[in-house]
Amino acid sequence: MKLKIGIYWGAACGGCDVAILDTHEKLLEIADMADIYLWPIAMDFKYSDVRAMKDGYLDAVLFSGGVRNSENEEIAKLLRRKAKAMIALGACAQLGGVPGLANMYTREEVLRRVYLESESTTNEKGIMPLESSKEDGFDLELPRLYNTVKTLNQVVDVDYTIPGCPPASLQIYSALGLIADDMLPKKGSVIGAGDRALCDECARKKGEKTITRIYRTHEKLPDAETCFLEQGFICLGPATRSGCGSRCIKSWTPCRGCYGPLDDVSDQGIKMVSALASVMEPKEEKDINALLDTVVDPLRTFHRFSLASSILRRKKA
Amino acid sequence: MKRIAIDPISRLEGHGKITIFLNEEGAVENAYLQIPELRGFEKFVEGLPVEEIPRVVTRICGV
Repeated sequence: MKLKIGIYWGAACGGCDVAILDTHEKLLEIADMADIYLWPIAMDFKYSDVRAMKDGYLDAVLFSGGVRNSENEEIAKLLRRKAKAMIALGACAQLGGVPGLANMYTREEVLRRVYLESESTTNEKGIMPLESSKEDGFDLELPRLYNTVKTLNQVVDVDYTIPGCPPASLQIYSALGLIADDMLPKKGSVIGAGDRALCDECARKKGEKTITRIYRTHEKLPDAETCFLEQGFICLGPATRSGCGSRCIKSWTPCRGCYGPLDDVSDQGIKMVSALASVMEPKEEKDINALLDTVVDPLRTFHRFSLASSILRRKKA
Repeated sequence: MKRIAIDPISRLEGHGKITIFLNEEGAVENAYLQIPELRGFEKFVEGLPVEEIPRVVTRICGV
């Protein structure tokens, strides 16, 4: 039996969809494996087509993107009803992702910056997006922008997660194979990724770490072979799930954690803070504070992809 | 007045919907393109260390 799947995006960039397309010739195998009933980036199905399906009609839905507005939530709930398996695809659906950094601000601060203050905005009448408005006598509606970016599992029950920003294409392919072969692990599992820390697959040499200060990437040239963290560059490898193929590391760029936390870690950013604390050389509080002062922008470094899922979650209202 | 919604607009990167209003004769009276999404990169890149900008703003569009 051919699978019936839907592919959708909430607050996303389309990178997860492109990662599916980047399976290249394996896309033909995916087409043999599954019929697609919704995929806005590539196909012409409408919400009305989904609403017309009976509940549980789709074997699986791959949902990328966070939940940023009322439309994202409405469609997430609609697809949850139509899908036997709801799969969070990518860092935004799993953790909020980069767009989750908007939780550092309120909804009003975001709207003001985008529609009134930005250098490239011309908006003399101060027009703001409204949930309902009348334009020349015609009634128009827009979704409500939420104050808080949410992860997919904060609004619907999620069965599986394929992590990454974007997920590695072959990992998506292998995860789809698990669905097609009815080999899915227990509900709640992360699929299409490793189960150890990125450091375990990283080829750089690791020795004793005794960090005395943190370097920004323009302050020092890293050597080609040694662990970035050991050289004083913040690398989220110790707090990040493996499975990406060390893409950034191989490009001489320390990890920022897009593959998310390991099993049983609820807050990836805090886990990284803990990892950093364990490799610092200073023992006195004064010296520790001096080292921490060399960490620029800790929130957006440690929680680059995971702020919306963290215990910090958002700026206080 | 009849109303036709094309929702979502497909085969593009991003979200969009088109609402078409038809008059009593069935002719198009007016049509609107709306972009129902916003993420707010303009705000949350403020103050971000400059060396981190390239791999944050690449998440504006992944196509």
